[in-house]
Amino acid sequence: MNENENKRADVRKIISAVICCILVPAVIVCGAELFKDKQYAWISLCVTILSCIPFALTFEKRTAKTGELALMASLAALSAAGRILFAPLPGFKPVTAFVIVSAMYLGPESGFAVGALSAVVSNFYFGQGPWTPFQMFAWGIIGFIAGLLSEPLKRSKVLMIIYGIIGGAAFSLIMDIWVVLWADGEFNPGLYITSMLSALPFTIIYAVSNIVFLLILSVTIGKILTRIKKKYGV
Amino acid sequence: MKAFDEIDPVAAAVYFVSVMLVGMFISAPMIQLFSLLGAAAFCLIGGRGEIKSDLGFYIPMFIMIALINPLFSHNGVTPLFFLNGNPVTLEAVIYGIVLAVMMTGILLWCRNFTKVMTSDKLLYIMGRAVPALSLTVSMALRFVPMFKRQMKKVSAAQKGMGLYSSKSYTDRIRGALRVFAAMVSWSLENAMETSCAMKARGYGLKGRTNFAIFRFTLRDCIFTVTTLLLLAAVIGGYALGYIDFYYYPRISAADINAGSAAVYVSFAVMAFLPFMIEVKEALKWKYFVSKI
Repeated sequence: MNENENKRADVRKIISAVICCILVPAVIVCGAELFKDKQYAWISLCVTILSCIPFALTFEKRTAKTGELALMASLAALSAAGRILFAPLPGFKPVTAFVIVSAMYLGPESGFAVGALSAVVSNFYFGQGPWTPFQMFAWGIIGFIAGLLSEPLKRSKVLMIIYGIIGGAAFSLIMDIWVVLWADGEFNPGLYITSMLSALPFTIIYAVSNIVFLLILSVTIGKILTRIKKKYGV
Repeated sequence: MKAFDEIDPVAAAVYFVSVMLVGMFISAPMIQLFSLLGAAAFCLIGGRGEIKSDLGFYIPMFIMIALINPLFSHNGVTPLFFLNGNPVTLEAVIYGIVLAVMMTGILLWCRNFTKVMTSDKLLYIMGRAVPALSLTVSMALRFVPMFKRQMKKVSAAQKGMGLYSSKSYTDRIRGALRVFAAMVSWSLENAMETSCAMKARGYGLKGRTNFAIFRFTLRDCIFTVTTLLLLAAVIGGYALGYIDFYYYPRISAADINAGSAAVYVSFAVMAFLPFMIEVKEALKWKYFVSKI
């Protein structure tokens, strides 16, 4: 059983290495060479999906730990429910704040998982499309980095707020890249700046809502998560 | 009336991936036109979609994408007129229209995909490759409506106790927060208990099998083979350069020969495959009914 586990871990490492070192550059080069019409939107879609695979694989090694799976599922469901609840207010979404707080208390890998799952689950309500992988990646990476910075973020509220603002802005900027690639087929800096400016009010609302939700959630959810971890030994 | 819903999830996924792959990467105008028409026909015949609100969304989007390209891209050799000193070229206008056809087509395919591939089918496919992940997604999907119900219960209980029932804004926010906090701890506890139950029933042990309601029948097999053969024909034709088409710097003349015609016909059949299945089943239904 143990040997089997080790073997599976090795396979995962090899797959991740192949994806990062060979497949992603190959997709970019082939995409740019083969398709002369500059189909950057679809190429970046492929790259985004590929870059989520290593995370999916690290997730798989937890098959035995049902507690973590259930915890992850309910956090993703809560943030998706929050997104649905606040859907009437454009830009005012608790998802990023929720992902950051979860990552602060559960670590980078769980942070990525909660972020990516929130995107998938809530898009079953908002509609799946080519944007789903981008949202998965954007929220996932925000959670991953928050997990890496968990100690300083827990210690200082100011840092947490700054990270919330950066996270909210980063999400908008990543999604704007997608909008531009999608509408134009290639990356056009002029169009990017235009779409960034036109989305500015939403970006600001988004950053502000992040601060609000972070300040409210970090204490409450932090307490609950710490308690749950102690009670059930996750 | 929705015959396509009966097709095995794996076969349907193969079909959607193939048709979207061609629709995303081959920008020859005929291919894009068939992709859009096929997706639209599928949408209409399956009754999958609210036509009025859909038109209100897709038509403005189509126009917007078609306009953006010529305004921001000044490639091409045939200027139509000048805007703020920048040429608006014929090539950019036509490429913009093709781009709009492509994007609308892909969105419609995504829409069909979402309607046909319901979450249970997606989880069935994912369950083989990434069991832990798909289990988590299916748990989360089940939690969302459960949380919504519980949230209503908690807030009704709070109101029943006479808490936070005044009209003042701060009071309402404090009430909402309290409900939310109660929700979070309730849902996490609930999830942990689920996991304990799973462990007690032997989740993750060796030799456990999963129940699946889907069966891969001969019809699914024929459908998949047909899809893959058509895909091979289209990709082969594309690789051999039968349907090469350039928009910049000058629009290439579209010459129709035997090779390119074969590729176009293959893709047209592919794009209209679900439509044809639905029509066939509808006719069959009608025929049987009239005999009674």
